Order: sequence, then C-alpha cells, then structure tokens
Amino acid sequence: MNGRRRRRFPYAALVGGLLSATASIAAEEPPASQQNQDLELIPPAAQQSSMPTAGHGKTAAGPQRLYVEDAVTVSSQRDDLVVAAPLPPNFNWQERLFVDARRQWDIDESSHLFYSDRLNLRAENDISAPDHENAINDLREAYISFEPLIRTYFDLGRINLKSGVALGYNPTDYFKARAVVEPLSADPTVLREDRLGTVMLRAERIWQGGSVTAAIAPALHAASPIYTNLDLPSFDPMLDRTNAQSRMLLKGSVNIAPDFSPELLIVRDGNVTKLGANLTEVVGQRVVAYAEWSSSRQTSLIDDAWRFGRQTGTLPESAPRPLSDDGHESFVNELAVGASYTLGTSVTLNLEWHWNAAGFSSSDWNQWFAVGRGRSARDPVTLELWFIRDYALDQQELIGRHAIFFRADWVDVFVPKLELAGLVDVDPRDGSALLQFSADYYVADKWTVGGLIIAYAGGRLSDFGSLPQQGSALVKVIRYF
Amino acid sequence: MRFRLDPACLAIVALLGATCVIARAAAEAPTAQEIVMATDRVRNPGEPFRLTVTLTEYVAGSERNHDRLVVFSKEDPGTRQFRNLIQYVEPPRDAGKKVLLDGHSLWFFDPASKISIRISPQQRLLGQAAIGDVLTVNLAADYAPTVSGTETIKDAARTDRNCWHLDLRAANDQAVYNRIEYWIEQRSFYPIKGKFYSDSGRLLKILYYRGFAEQLGAVRPTEAVIIDAVDTSLATTAAFGDYRFQEIPDAWFQRDYLPRLQIQ
Repeated sequence: MNGRRRRRFPYAALVGGLLSATASIAAEEPPASQQNQDLELIPPAAQQSSMPTAGHGKTAAGPQRLYVEDAVTVSSQRDDLVVAAPLPPNFNWQERLFVDARRQWDIDESSHLFYSDRLNLRAENDISAPDHENAINDLREAYISFEPLIRTYFDLGRINLKSGVALGYNPTDYFKARAVVEPLSADPTVLREDRLGTVMLRAERIWQGGSVTAAIAPALHAASPIYTNLDLPSFDPMLDRTNAQSRMLLKGSVNIAPDFSPELLIVRDGNVTKLGANLTEVVGQRVVAYAEWSSSRQTSLIDDAWRFGRQTGTLPESAPRPLSDDGHESFVNELAVGASYTLGTSVTLNLEWHWNAAGFSSSDWNQWFAVGRGRSARDPVTLELWFIRDYALDQQELIGRHAIFFRADWVDVFVPKLELAGLVDVDPRDGSALLQFSADYYVADKWTVGGLIIAYAGGRLSDFGSLPQQGSALVKVIRYF
Repeated sequence: MRFRLDPACLAIVALLGATCVIARAAAEAPTAQEIVMATDRVRNPGEPFRLTVTLTEYVAGSERNHDRLVVFSKEDPGTRQFRNLIQYVEPPRDAGKKVLLDGHSLWFFDPASKISIRISPQQRLLGQAAIGDVLTVNLAADYAPTVSGTETIKDAARTDRNCWHLDLRAANDQAVYNRIEYWIEQRSFYPIKGKFYSDSGRLLKILYYRGFAEQLGAVRPTEAVIIDAVDTSLATTAAFGDYRFQEIPDAWFQRDYLPRLQIQ
C-alpha cells in the first residue's frame, strides 16, 4: 500500500461548479415563449408589414385646413337680475354653419401667401330671415411673406400676431383687443382661433439662440362702437376693430441658458407704452411653470371704457359717470402666473392666477350694483354700467382685479379619441364662476362630433351671477376636407 | 513509453481551456452600452435627416385613425441626443401642428391659435399615438443598459431571432420612459422588440420593429407595431418612409422658428 495519501484535486467540485453556473445562466434566461405571446396582441389587420414603396410617405406641402361645421346652441337667460340687462336680450337659440378655410400658397421657396377665413351662415330667434345678419364673413388673415435673407422674414397684410405663455389670460397679447368674433366657446384656447388679425408690416429675424420681431400696425379706420350680436357687418374686414389706432411692437427672446429663453416686449399702443415679459420653465417631468407680465401707465378700466364710449359715440358727451373714478394715470400691472401638470398619459391640468390692477376693485363692484339696482333697462345709467362690462369683454381684459383659472384636458377618455375638457374661471372676490365642460369625439379622420355646456354661477351680487346669461348648451358636427 | 494522463492534469487543462474560451468570449462580447449604441446606429442615420411617419391606429382590431407626420432630426454632438421637429400633415384637423423637442425645450404650436405652448416631458406620452413614439432618440444617451441574457424570440414576422435581452433604466430626466426592456438581434444589432414602462413600473407599451430595408445607406426598420399594454385592444403601426438627408440649421430648434417651419 502506498502509505502516502494522495491529495485529490477537487475536479468534481470544479465540474460541479461549472455545471451549476451553466444551470444558473439557463435559469436567468426569461422564457422566450412568454415573450412570443405578445405577438398575439398584434391585430390581424396589422400583421402584415406595409413595406415602403416608391412614393410611400410623401408629404403634401403646407398646413392646409378646410372644414364645414354645424353648431346648434340654446341658451337660457336670468330674469332676476339686480341690474337690469340691456335690451334686446341674448338669443335663445342659434344655428350656425361655418365654412372655415386656412390655406397657404407657395410662390417660390422663399415667398408664401397665407389666407385664413371663416364664412358664417346663421339663424337665431332674434334675427329675421332673410337678413344680411344671416351671412357674416370673418377674414382672419391674408398676408404675403418673404424671406429675402436666411431666417429673415417680412410679412405684410392682415396677420394674427399673438404673444403670451399663459392659457386663460394673456396680458402680453397686445393685438387681442376687439379681435375676437362671435365665439362659440368660452375656452381661451378656442377664443384665440376665432379672432381677426391686424393689418401690419412684420419683420422677424431668427438666429441660433434667439429671435427679434418688429411690427408696425397703422391706424386705418376710426374706432367703431362695440358690436352686438345683431349689428355685425356681413362682408367687411372690420378694420375698425383691429386697426383703429396705430401700434408698434418690438419683441425678442434670447436663450440665456439651456432651455431658458425669456421673451421681452415693448409696445406703443396709441399714446401708451407697454412693457411685457414671458417666462417659462420646465420643473421635473410633469410640470411647466410660466409667468406673463405687462405694465403700462394708463387709467383704470372704468375710465378707459368711459373714454372709448364717448370717442365712438356710444355714450353721449353729457353722459353721467355713474362710477366715480379719479381718471388719473398710474402704472398698471397685469399678471398671469400658472403651471401645467401632466397626470399619467392622458390628463393635462392648468392652474393660473390672473391679476389686472386696472380692473374693478371691491368698491367698484359694490358701486356698480348700488348704482344700477332698481333702474330700468333703458335707463342711461344702466346702459353705461353694462357698457363698461361689454367694453372689458370686447377688449379681452379681466373685469375684476383677480381671477383663478383652472382647466383640465383629458384625452382618450373611456374610449379612444374621446377628449373631454373642463374649465373654471373664478372671481375670488365673490366666488362666482364661469364653468365650461366640453366633449369632442373624433369619430374618424375627417369627422368630429362634440358638445359643450357653459354655466355662469354665482349670487345675484356677484361677477358671473349678475350676467344676463345663465348658461348655454351646444352640439356640433364637423366635416374636414 | 506510455504516456499516462493524470485525471488532475486533465481537469486543470480543461479548466484552463474553459477559462481561455470564456475570457476570449468576454473580450469579444460587446458591452451593453456598445450594443445599445450599435442598435441606435441601425435606427438612426448619423447625419441630419427627415422622414415621414405614417401612424395607423387600430381599435379592437379595426383600422381607425391615421396620422402622418414629418420628423426632422439632428444629433446634438454635445449630448449625443437627437433634436426633433415634428409637423403634422394628417389628419386634416391636425394639419400644420408642430412640435419642438430639444432637451427640455418642448413646445407645441397650433396654426389655428397661432400660439406656441410649452409642454412637459410627460406630455410626450399623451394619447394612443404619442409624440414620444415617433421621436428619433439615441437610447444610449438617456438610458443605463445592462444585459439580462440572451434569448431566441420571434420577431413581428414570427421568425426566430437570437437576441440580447437588455434592461435599460432612465439615466437622466430626458428619457421618455422610466425603464425599457429591449431585444436586439446579435450580430446585426437590429432592434426587434421593446417593452416600455412608466415610473411606477407599469408596462405601458410593447413595440415590435419590422420591415428591415435599405434606407439612407444602411438597413433600418421601416415599420413598428406599437401595442398599448394598458388597453390591449389598442395598437398602432408606425411606417417610416421618405427618408432624406437634409441640412437642418441649429436655429430651427427654438420656439420662434416653429411657425416658420415649411415642408418643401
């Protein structure tokens, strides 16, 4: 016997270890069959690849859009107003048929023609037919654009020049006054679409890291009285609304830091100079914070309205001034601060606070109700009180000092292609609110059906609760071409 | 003289041999990062380009809606990430809408309202056919990948593909998804399949690439099938066509250029 005990090499352990490692790797591999089950989720109609062929994916040039929309609205009025509403009352029902076109023609690579127009055919309980009020044409835009140098542009014609980063109120949107025409919705995002451009010459230069825009809009027509639902011109560019005073605008933005490019604006509007700024910032994955500010030396909304009423002849020279105001000028700040929040993969929420230092103070509101209470609808004082509120609406200005705005947008609700939107515009002074709920269902690529409900809620002595309209409901169908 | 091989020597030789093979294989096997970079190159041309994406949405198996978008993409040499400009061509109600996606600078322009609205990164995922699904992205720039293993899975045409199975975790806040599982074919680096997860770990989408064909000097996928994993009755196909190299100045990637963007 070999008395020497041989030391055994642990090859069994080695082989065992290798086998174990192999087994371990095999165990970590996910079962491929499980992955292959996902293939069953591909719809049979989408099983076959549509391999690209010649011409596949070719694109049409230009952002063209043409649609016909039919909308029926019914509205209800209040009959217990503290301040009697001016006559005639708002319509009870309205039927509108639109032909809405937005076209672009390319003259050559650097010259383009733009055209945007909406023809309205309408019938209402308070418009007899046939009448010129049955047909109204809104020429929103018509201009020619040149690019003589790379990214240097000159545009001439009627142009919708808009500014602002907020959703519910845009203090820096200096061409918004009087431009909104017969909107169907109270949603600010829709109001921006239903508005007339201003005749102007615009120049813009864009370079890497910034841009600058200058615009000159001459006065082409005398200012006209505020239009009502019943005295709109049929086929008229309505330059009296958009070019009643000369305006000059200069705005620019520079990329100060990555993803941060504030916009600064200066405007000469008649005899008033206004300064403005727009800021936005992304906060995390879901939040965009923004602020919009404008400041100018001017009088209050009440004084502005009173002056405009006299200028256009709506208010006689001898008209009383039912709301006392000193008429002096001061620096007036307007502000919109807010944020959007994206919830999941289908909901976007916006919350904003609006401030207009020129708007009604609490004492102005108290005075408005106290002076108007008990007067008839035809009383000159009543007419003047309502004129101030109509003026604020026509100018797209806040009538109160503060507002809280909330909007929610929900896409693919319950079923694909159903979009719901709701907004609340609250006057925090009295808690009254404008509420709107809308639904749009994109039935097919070229068809949309929808509806909306608007309600003006609040007490009799509140901002929204004192309006003659109580609410309205609308249904619509749209066919795109 | 008879040579006798001791079992211990045999084991040592086997061990050395195995070690060499493993070491050599390890030396040759690409890292997870290299795999993702290689598959990025398959999907994305190296030069600035534009393409047209045609989206077809299916609801409960039936073809329902169509979108067509033109995407302009250019790689940022600093971040290695793509900057994107997107313009909707169809459907008619969306024609002319544009989106800028450049790092944190995300803007949406609507020609009807003529205003640009800043959007959050999360808004890239809104809707069935989300903007995030048609973006040109370099996954290697935004995700930290690891190789989970190798698998043979069936591609969209039910052909077996030997794939690396990778797990990609968002490495920065520009990543569209929090986590992606990705299957990439070995040797060709073709992307075959992806699974996309939300921040909460919920499976949002399953994606299959298919229709590999020569485009802009390389074989690339020309179609993707995107399955909504939350509501599996929804699916979308995205066909990539009309590829063109195009000079895209950096000045295009800012809010004020959006209204000026023209599709020629």
